[in-house]
Amino acid sequence: MADTGGGVCLPRCSSTATMATHAQTEAPIRLRRSPVTYVMPVLATGLIALLLVWLAVNFYKGPAYFVTISFIGLTNGAVYALVALGYTLVYGILELINFAHGDVFMLGGMFSATMVLSVFHLKANASTGALVAAIVGSLFVAMGACGLLNATIERIAYRPLRGAPRLAPLITAIGMSFILEDIAIGWKGPSYTAVPNVLPRGQVFSISGVVLTWEKLIVIMITVPVLVALIWLVQYTRQGKAMRATAQDRDAAAMMGIDVNRTISFTFVIAGGLAGAGGLVYALYFGQIRYDTGFSLGLIAFTAAVLGGIGNLPGAVLGALCIGFIQAFNEGLLWHAPGSNWTESIVFTILILILVFRPEGLLGERTPEGA
Amino acid sequence: MRARVVKAIGSAWWLVLTRLGLSRHRWQTLPRLTRRTVKAVVWVAIGLALVGLFGVWKTSALAVAAVVLVLVVPPYGKVTVRGRRVGKGILPVMVLALAVTYPFYGVISSMPQLPIFGPIPQMSTMVGMAVFTMMALGLNFVVGYAGLLDLGYVAFYAMGSYMAGWFASDQFAKQHLVLGAVGIVPGDNAGFHFSIWLVLLMAGIATAIIGVIIGLPTLRLRGDYLAIVTLGFGEIMPQIARNGDNLFGFNLTNGTGGITPIDGPGFGNWAHHNLGLPANYLSLGENADRAFFWTALVLVLLTVFASSRLRDSRLGRAWVAIREDEVAAAAMGVPLMRTKTWAYATGAFFGGVAGAYYASYNGGAFPDEFFFNISVFILCMVILGGMGNIWGVIFGACFLEYLDREGLANIGAWLNGHFGPGGSDFQIWHKTLDVPLYEFGIFGAILVIVMLFRPEGLIPSSRRAAEFREGVHDEPLYDVEHDERLYTPEPT
Amino acid sequence: MTSDGLLQTLGLRKEFGGLVAVDDVTFTVPEGAIVSLIGPNGAGKTTFFNMLTGVYKPTAGRVVFAGEDLTGKPPHAFTQRGIGRTFQNIRLFKNMTALENVLVGMHVRLKGNLFEAILRTPRVKREEAAARARARELLEFSGLRRKDEEIGRNMSYGDQRRLEVARALATQPKLLLLDEPTAGMNPQETLEFTDFVGRLRTERGLTVLLIEHDMRVVMGVSDRVTVLDYGEKIAEGTPQEIQKNERVIEAYLGTAAVSS
Repeated sequence: MADTGGGVCLPRCSSTATMATHAQTEAPIRLRRSPVTYVMPVLATGLIALLLVWLAVNFYKGPAYFVTISFIGLTNGAVYALVALGYTLVYGILELINFAHGDVFMLGGMFSATMVLSVFHLKANASTGALVAAIVGSLFVAMGACGLLNATIERIAYRPLRGAPRLAPLITAIGMSFILEDIAIGWKGPSYTAVPNVLPRGQVFSISGVVLTWEKLIVIMITVPVLVALIWLVQYTRQGKAMRATAQDRDAAAMMGIDVNRTISFTFVIAGGLAGAGGLVYALYFGQIRYDTGFSLGLIAFTAAVLGGIGNLPGAVLGALCIGFIQAFNEGLLWHAPGSNWTESIVFTILILILVFRPEGLLGERTPEGA
Repeated sequence: MRARVVKAIGSAWWLVLTRLGLSRHRWQTLPRLTRRTVKAVVWVAIGLALVGLFGVWKTSALAVAAVVLVLVVPPYGKVTVRGRRVGKGILPVMVLALAVTYPFYGVISSMPQLPIFGPIPQMSTMVGMAVFTMMALGLNFVVGYAGLLDLGYVAFYAMGSYMAGWFASDQFAKQHLVLGAVGIVPGDNAGFHFSIWLVLLMAGIATAIIGVIIGLPTLRLRGDYLAIVTLGFGEIMPQIARNGDNLFGFNLTNGTGGITPIDGPGFGNWAHHNLGLPANYLSLGENADRAFFWTALVLVLLTVFASSRLRDSRLGRAWVAIREDEVAAAAMGVPLMRTKTWAYATGAFFGGVAGAYYASYNGGAFPDEFFFNISVFILCMVILGGMGNIWGVIFGACFLEYLDREGLANIGAWLNGHFGPGGSDFQIWHKTLDVPLYEFGIFGAILVIVMLFRPEGLIPSSRRAAEFREGVHDEPLYDVEHDERLYTPEPT
Repeated sequence: MTSDGLLQTLGLRKEFGGLVAVDDVTFTVPEGAIVSLIGPNGAGKTTFFNMLTGVYKPTAGRVVFAGEDLTGKPPHAFTQRGIGRTFQNIRLFKNMTALENVLVGMHVRLKGNLFEAILRTPRVKREEAAARARARELLEFSGLRRKDEEIGRNMSYGDQRRLEVARALATQPKLLLLDEPTAGMNPQETLEFTDFVGRLRTERGLTVLLIEHDMRVVMGVSDRVTVLDYGEKIAEGTPQEIQKNERVIEAYLGTAAVSS
């Protein structure tokens, strides 16, 4: 029998209350919350607490050393930031993990190595002027070449598959990654390409045991302007606005007259440029690069992007800094640190935990909503 | 564009033929069997000519040609025995017969050599081909049937190998338990030594359990995230293997040296004396590879059997439904997580068995064998051969493993011999080209080309071909994944 | 249980970020009834359906089916308890045959597991044969006789809609949710469909909840009509009452109300 009566209800049917109380007088309806909702806060709090305790103990045992290691983390984080931003830009606009991105970074490092060695003929004790000229010159070449490379990859491997099932471009991305690695093998061989130690390694300062050396500062000095340029580009130019619009809603952007294909290509150019800059910095700072350097570093950078929130630019930088610190602490600290043998596992565990328990990352993801 | 090119080639071809007196219309009015025979004979003749001109000719080439014609031409599908269509099984049985008799080919009379690729594969390569076929068929459950991109299959391979390492060697020398093992390497008497057959089963089950554990948190992620997470596990496992000699003081995996030696399989003395089966494979000397090969064939057969049975079952249908439209499948009552986990666990099972068997064959479990590229290698087999199609996957696996073991080296030798320094034709490059060095770039190129031009693979399942052409409803059950933590019930 | 209706929602609410798609809807479907849910486009009807089948998780409120609170459970749990549905824009398994589509619908009612499938035990063989027979029967009931082996993609639009219903029926629902089932049908087909919905109740004992825009169907077959506008329930009653309700007319029906 109809319990709302035969009459027509006015807005906000008053019988709602009747029905609700009616339901309450029956056996109370038990709700089931997924256990995942309990696991995450407990696990996260526990892990973070453990982590903080470990860091605190290490700090106590050697504060100056701790800060010095932190500088290493900051520098690593800067390199990761450059690569992570590329991943996050592309994912934000296409929802595609550009697997080949790490290898574009690696080729950027190779380009830079070639520039420094063969074009600028830089040696270990070069003058500041020569150094700056070489860095700026190599930066432009590496960024330009990698931007072009990335856009080409998009054109041949991803664009034809825009309508295909989503996993198809991911597979071609993996294929391209292998192809790029073998190009590097063909060009520079399977062993490490060494870059001479051209960055000054002297101390900037040494305050009560805390040491900052020049090459770290130079890395920051290269990275920060690049990031600033990126922010300017994305926030204040028309192309940047087109990028943001296409990332939010591709169809609407198209309807507003934005050339979606060109915008996507442009995004790939920018991402490639960032990877190229990262490659230059890596080559100069770490001094050696190999065909598979891009693979592991790319995955670490991708984890950083996910950690910060995929599609989210400040998130990528934040995530990269976090990962940089985690790696530096893992490899540098002395009290019960797992050591460099375990860095990859730690990073991947972070990736898995984030994707499972908090896929939107620290700052929230920004991707196109589903149709 | 591809269609236009094909059409253009077709018209040009018929233009030539019509000039020679055979019009397309006349051709199409011939009975189908005749057309097939003519086509087969023409292709076989071309093949023979190529072998004769560019390869190494032996009279056995004619026998091979005859066999090919017998396989391809007759319409076996129509054969009925007492009313039941048995035709479907004839071709597989014939191929199986050819595979089983393979070890004797080199003996009867020398086989011809193909141009570029060189001689037919050696027995050790054949064993590798069989093992990787099994792994590719295992991955096929995940990628081909359920449509989940798994980039970490190497973790299952590793798990299986280490299971063999733990239970068929002296790794755990403090324990001493022998359960039916026959192939114990002399002098190696401490530790667990279970019969390899038992170890295979244990490895499969243990790996399946690992698959379920990995799958529990990750299978609800959407496609690309799932791929990356599986990649992550595929990296973590080998790193644990490499560093596993000192896990809080416990030596689990013996670190970078790996666990070696691992016992070989065998049937024991009773079976040897009464049934003629080998007591211990390792004691067969030169013929050991044969025994390993035939056993591997049996394992492949079991995998094929399971594959085809599952494909046509309730679970197989559920997998196809998930691939086509996850949301609709869920609305029709298919439990997504459980169904995906079954695919993952089944794939893991066969990966584990294959890994354990290969470790027994190689006599060890070595961490160097397990790295990301292997996962992609196996994925390439499935994609090149034909996702979801058993024959396709078998072909892809055999071909790529052959390339990896011998093929690329042979191609390199041929190329360098003709075009390299001191080559017989004109010299194109000046340094010897090391083709196997570029192996993974070649496989990567295969992936890209296949995905761009024939994503359903060389021997596709018709369903998959349709899915790639017509598209599927690709959205994941998005809201359910992300809103799980947003739900807070209001007290009413 | 029965006095509360087969399906009950209490204060059901769905928010997407800042947008409120469904706004505190409390609603009952009595057992054995045919209820229509109408409202202008964008009123939140399909979102409501998605919450009734577990495809969306509500931001607030509860869904109670046959006395059991199903809120927050995954979609297959809803289907398993007895709620079947069709989709507004057809979501068939387009590369499967009609028979296979219906067999997927039976997934939740069949019991064969992985090991039995590999071994092809007699029990599984019997179950599959019975399932196929039942599937054919359902196809015939839905007007798709002899179209078993047709691929979903190749079927006519009307046939595809019928197949969706057949597939939903395969889940053996107690409550069937039909989302705009007559969209795109001509008057003759619409009439046949209206008749079909009635038969679902009389021949199959189903309770039916439809989203509909076509007033002929609504007036012709419903016991009750509920009206949504901007996510809120604005009216509820018999078809005749709704036809005369000013608020509803204002929101939706307009002056071109079809007289039944």
